[in-house]
Amino acid sequence: MILVSALTIAVLFGVGSYLLLQRDLIRVVVGIILVSNAANLFLISAGLSRGQAPIYPLEEGVEVSDPLVQAMTLTAIVIAFGISALLMSLVYRVYTSHLSLNLEDISEAEVREEESIESREVAED
Amino acid sequence: MKTSVMTRVVARVLLVPALVVALAILIKGYADTGDGFNAGVIAALGMLLQYVAFGYEEAERMMPVRLVAVIAFGGLLLSLAVALLPLFWGLAIFTHVPGPGEEVIHLGTVELITPVVFDIGVFMLVFGFAVGAIDLLARAIHRRET
Amino acid sequence: MIVFTLGLTWTLAVLLSLLDGRKHPVGGIALGGLAAGFAGLLVLGWEVFTNGPVTMVAGGWPPGVGITLRADALGVTFAVLSVGVILIALAYEAVSGIESRTFPALAMFMAAGLTGLFLTGDAFNFYVFFEIAMIAAYALTGYGERARQLRAAFIFAVVNLLGSVLFLIGVGALYHLTGTLDMRMIAERVAAAQPNAALLTAVAIFVAFSLKLGLFPFHYWLPAVYTGVRPSVAAMLSGALANIGSYGLLRFGGELLPQELEMGATALFVLGTTSIIYGALQAVSRRTMTEVLAYSAIGQVGYILIALGIGGPVGFAAAVVYAIINSLNKLLLFLAAGLRGWMVGAAFAVGAFSVAGVPPAAGFLGKLVLFQASLAVESVALVALIFIGGALSFVYSFQIYQRVFWKPQARAYKISPSTARLLVAGVAGLLLFAGAWPEPLLALGQRAAAAVLLGGAP
Repeated sequence: MILVSALTIAVLFGVGSYLLLQRDLIRVVVGIILVSNAANLFLISAGLSRGQAPIYPLEEGVEVSDPLVQAMTLTAIVIAFGISALLMSLVYRVYTSHLSLNLEDISEAEVREEESIESREVAED
Repeated sequence: MKTSVMTRVVARVLLVPALVVALAILIKGYADTGDGFNAGVIAALGMLLQYVAFGYEEAERMMPVRLVAVIAFGGLLLSLAVALLPLFWGLAIFTHVPGPGEEVIHLGTVELITPVVFDIGVFMLVFGFAVGAIDLLARAIHRRET
Repeated sequence: MIVFTLGLTWTLAVLLSLLDGRKHPVGGIALGGLAAGFAGLLVLGWEVFTNGPVTMVAGGWPPGVGITLRADALGVTFAVLSVGVILIALAYEAVSGIESRTFPALAMFMAAGLTGLFLTGDAFNFYVFFEIAMIAAYALTGYGERARQLRAAFIFAVVNLLGSVLFLIGVGALYHLTGTLDMRMIAERVAAAQPNAALLTAVAIFVAFSLKLGLFPFHYWLPAVYTGVRPSVAAMLSGALANIGSYGLLRFGGELLPQELEMGATALFVLGTTSIIYGALQAVSRRTMTEVLAYSAIGQVGYILIALGIGGPVGFAAAVVYAIINSLNKLLLFLAAGLRGWMVGAAFAVGAFSVAGVPPAAGFLGKLVLFQASLAVESVALVALIFIGGALSFVYSFQIYQRVFWKPQARAYKISPSTARLLVAGVAGLLLFAGAWPEPLLALGQRAAAAVLLGGAP
């Protein structure tokens, strides 16, 4: 079980990191979501123990799995949920202002903008 | 984009069960698996299905989307109130009433304790937020297509 | 008292989200509320400094079961500092006219997140508040909603999310190692944990906070963001939000993982030194004011890292004092960068001198405590580094001052509202005052450092 979750985390993290390095903004967002889910899984694995669900009434003498990591992971999932919505809307805003989701186009726009600022300042000097 | 009749029928039929399941998860949360967040997500999924099947105009007609922000922030306020009100009785924040081990008022099998109110707030927040976000993105897609 | 500011800012943030922040009264409510919250923190600070740490366990659970809120000298100092910075930046924005619906609410959420973060005694709770503050910051970075701000917001969000993920992994690992989330219990139990695992955890947490601070190898996001955003938002990010990094390093490094911090001292020196030199050289070579300030921010956090590497009561006290002064410097400089008119030049000069470490501005004090700390460890190299760094920061501070405020104005600038200028002058006055009467600040630093070393005792 520990090996399985370690492998899953590794695969999720790897795929997420790979996507993060892509030029498409949507892929970057998906990469972030995958990486944060890898972290959630890691959090679950931090208290990996076999046992009954920790809900009353409990049977006598039976081991109970750790509820705290699950509560933490639930909180982390909620946060990741909010963040992915925020990132999506940011990507949409970037798209409407640049009409592109390709990082190269966007950084080109940035370079153009910076050059215009600098030339204005040189003209002022 | 037009969806097939099948999709639309299924979407419409699934809305009420989604809301009922959400409600069940919400109020059973303290005696069984579930809580406000899960309930909110399930209810929002029901709404998402409507957006996918009918497009945002029809979906907005079914639900007062303008109120979504009020629902979300109202829920947040409700939760905050439950968290902070015990202070006025000199108790720590987030104190349960009735406390652990004390006698609980039952309504059927539902236990009436203040955390349930807190979770209703969470439910409203999550549902409102999710539907608001879905609506925002759906409008964006609609605007791009036209 | 401990929940007063937290509850107030939270409730107000929620209420303000429903209102239109562009209207004048809304800005007024936000300012008044935040000022009340700030006053509450001051009262709490007084309590902590006279009677020792204040603790409260949520839900009335026994300690170790419920989530603990704990205010000690270190936390209260940073909370007062950060909320004060946000208050001034919000006042600045309110005076010059808020342009977005959500600005007051977001500033309030950030204040709530930061207050909670500095006053919590629970590692996971720290993460939650940290995310609240960060999410507000992501949204604030997009304030202005022009292409430039949006790009800045995207970069900022993606890079810092990676930092948050690393921190979350660090918290998970700490829980796995010690079986508790209460910071004090972690500090007690971590010594018994497996050393390699603890070191790995410490590295993850260090990288996460370095990303927030913008230290040298993790700085790449910072210039793009700080130059892209509005002056008031830049002031909030570098004056309030970056405090998370210094506080986190002090709390998690100094208090929770002291052995690992000691082990990594050499790495801290190396990173701090490269940060200082790199930031200063880049700042000297830049032309636009915000770019110079952004690179200067990278250099300045290097000093905090060095102080942390020195460690012990002297080093931690130096780190606290330097962090306080640095955040006030950045607040002043970024705000003054957005203004034109009488008094602004003078205020900017005070800020620039302060960054350079010239008396009587408070920055001199920051350099002085660092100097003393490096004398305490008898390191010639550190003394020389502080001198070189100071000289370089003098060069770039003077360069931008000359370029912006001395050259004959080619274009007619709109003179900024006098209240905004007064605000900036007030911050400059505070820096001069702190420089002229340094005893309270030094005492504060010592108390905070003692809190780190004794694991939360006063």
